[in-house]
Amino acid sequence: MTNSKTEYRVSAKDVQKAFGDNRVLNGVSFDIAQGSATTIIGPSGSGKTTLLRALNALDVPDAGVVKVGDVELDFSKPASKDQLRRYRAQSGFVFQSHNLFPHKTVLENVIEGPVIAQKRPKDEAASEAVELLTQVGLAEKQDQYPFQLSGGQQQRVGIARALALKPKVVLFDEPTSALDPELVGEVLSVIRDLAVEGWTLVIVTHEIQFARQVSDQVLFTDRGVILEKGPPAEVIGNPKEERTRQFLDRILNPL
Amino acid sequence: MLLTALLLAACGSSNTNSGDPIKSAGVLRVGTEGVYPPYSFHDAKQGGELAGYDVDVAKAVAEKLGVDVEFVETPWDAMFAALEADRFDIVANEVTISDERKQKYDLSEPYSISQGVIVTRKEDSTIKTLADLKGKRTAQNPTSNWAEIARDAGSEVESVDGFSQAITVLNDGRVDAVVNDSISVLAYQAEHPDAPIKVAVKLKERGDQAFAARKDSGLLPELNKALDELRAEGTLTKISEKYLDVDLSKAGPTSTWQLILDNLWPLARAAIEKTIPLTIISFVVGLVIALVVALARLSPNIVISGLARFYISIIRGTPLLVQLFIVFYALPQIGVKIDAFPAAVIAFSLNVGGYAAEIIRSAIQSIPKGQWEAAETIGLDYVGALRRIILPQATRVAVPPLSNTLISLVKDTSLASTILVTELFRTAQNVAAPTFEFFALYGTAALYYWIICLVLSFAQNRYERRLERYVAR
Repeated sequence: MTNSKTEYRVSAKDVQKAFGDNRVLNGVSFDIAQGSATTIIGPSGSGKTTLLRALNALDVPDAGVVKVGDVELDFSKPASKDQLRRYRAQSGFVFQSHNLFPHKTVLENVIEGPVIAQKRPKDEAASEAVELLTQVGLAEKQDQYPFQLSGGQQQRVGIARALALKPKVVLFDEPTSALDPELVGEVLSVIRDLAVEGWTLVIVTHEIQFARQVSDQVLFTDRGVILEKGPPAEVIGNPKEERTRQFLDRILNPL
Repeated sequence: MLLTALLLAACGSSNTNSGDPIKSAGVLRVGTEGVYPPYSFHDAKQGGELAGYDVDVAKAVAEKLGVDVEFVETPWDAMFAALEADRFDIVANEVTISDERKQKYDLSEPYSISQGVIVTRKEDSTIKTLADLKGKRTAQNPTSNWAEIARDAGSEVESVDGFSQAITVLNDGRVDAVVNDSISVLAYQAEHPDAPIKVAVKLKERGDQAFAARKDSGLLPELNKALDELRAEGTLTKISEKYLDVDLSKAGPTSTWQLILDNLWPLARAAIEKTIPLTIISFVVGLVIALVVALARLSPNIVISGLARFYISIIRGTPLLVQLFIVFYALPQIGVKIDAFPAAVIAFSLNVGGYAAEIIRSAIQSIPKGQWEAAETIGLDYVGALRRIILPQATRVAVPPLSNTLISLVKDTSLASTILVTELFRTAQNVAAPTFEFFALYGTAALYYWIICLVLSFAQNRYERRLERYVAR
């Protein structure tokens, strides 16, 4: 993290994606600095989730050049399975509905990627997993199955599972939207701790206060483009665009 | 009346044929029914072994030729199909010589003669000559010469699988008469003195019985020479005295309970050696086929998924019995000859594959898309995601319907009896045929099938409970 030259963990140029006739991403470009936290906010249907999924190739863009971690892909050319696999391996992904593996215990969920996909020794992966679970406050739950946990605990396991891959970037897709309100805090505080520790984070969220407190950069998406980006004090505190103001107003004053 | 083997004068078959095909093969494979006493049956007096006049003559012929003998038990109405399919070299099962058969097969010199009789119920006095069969119902093996006689006389022929069934439906009053060989009838009367039947008519026709081989097999010189020698040295007479001199005075049936007791182990053995292995192997192979077909069916490639659909449609749209017959009797005609047990495994596996494919496909589709995505994001490839994440969860969904398939399969294996696999049901048939104790033996077989299925249901329950350990209750 030298001051002389900012090192980027994500660089996206002119990313495009359509589902049939529906153009969801209409030329999106942005950079994410190493060790920074970026939140993506915007109305539903504005393309923010598709943008996040493009960074993990869960949705493969139709065009654009994206560099995630050490791997750069030009999506205007067809990518091979192997290229996509290496691209995907740069990031960890936390789902809105956690998508834990229900037939595996908490510990098994966390070590599945390191042991099976990354072929690391099981003992080593397990002791690291226990550390991660301790970090998210769930060490004592390691032998339970996901159905035995609360929603907030499940999501914290989901985070530990993503971190266990030692990714260059961690992607969060509305990590608290499926949770009961009283469980939101425990998940947000885990994410905040990660930001403090220096992980590079990209978070799609509706939690405006959280975005303001945690992020170094906010992207406001609207109709498939990034309408506004900058530090939260600008984008959230003093938006330049009328649509950004309307959106924030609807969120902050729903009545 | 107790006419036995015919001691024909040697016809001096010219031995000009080059080579001795049986001797060079080293084995004589013989098709026989195994349910036609006293000619071919499982003899309780000989420990349930295959025995009878035709069986012992075939053994003696093989011994004369210095080769091994191998019997293939085959239902009569499949006998010639199996002969054509090269399941065995000759038929030794009271094949009566007729002009029609002479044209289609190589027939040896006769080794026995028979007299036809018409059997009716005791109180029936309406049938006094062959002509009286006109308009009456008879029970016959549809492809036997006795059926032909009955049909020619104008009777309505009901098809049955063997002599013992024919006599049973006559006893029950479901038909009016049975035309068959006098000695089989006598053997039955010896076993069942109280049976409400009588020999109503002795036919003028006498039949000569011979071995049948495929046309132009080249086997006749060796067979005929051996028969000539056996006849000359009196062996044929000795065998005929052993089986065909039926003495009604020393007859007596064994008790039903004793019969069941005697056959508990042979039936259990058939289940352990044939029914259960056939079930397990076919199910495992069938599941592998089913998984491949299910994945093909889910493939985005139209050609691959179309092929999978076509396979499933063929398997589900045709009877299992027909599938078995195609594998066993039809494939040999295009040069693919498979032994009985593997043929049964192939047919059952393909069948299970078709049905289970749809179960597995729907189980895979029942797993939420998010599980595939989560597997992808932690770096698993398609195979890894399938093996580690999707299939273990799909298993829980698929186990109850797959258990149904397995339990059906246990019972369906009884169909293998029709393609010469001596499994549980066939064994029960073999014992029931000479003794006519259908209820006792089929009942015992049914009990065994039930026990196997009970054990499976129990295992299914335990397995389901284990799989449910990770599901909220």
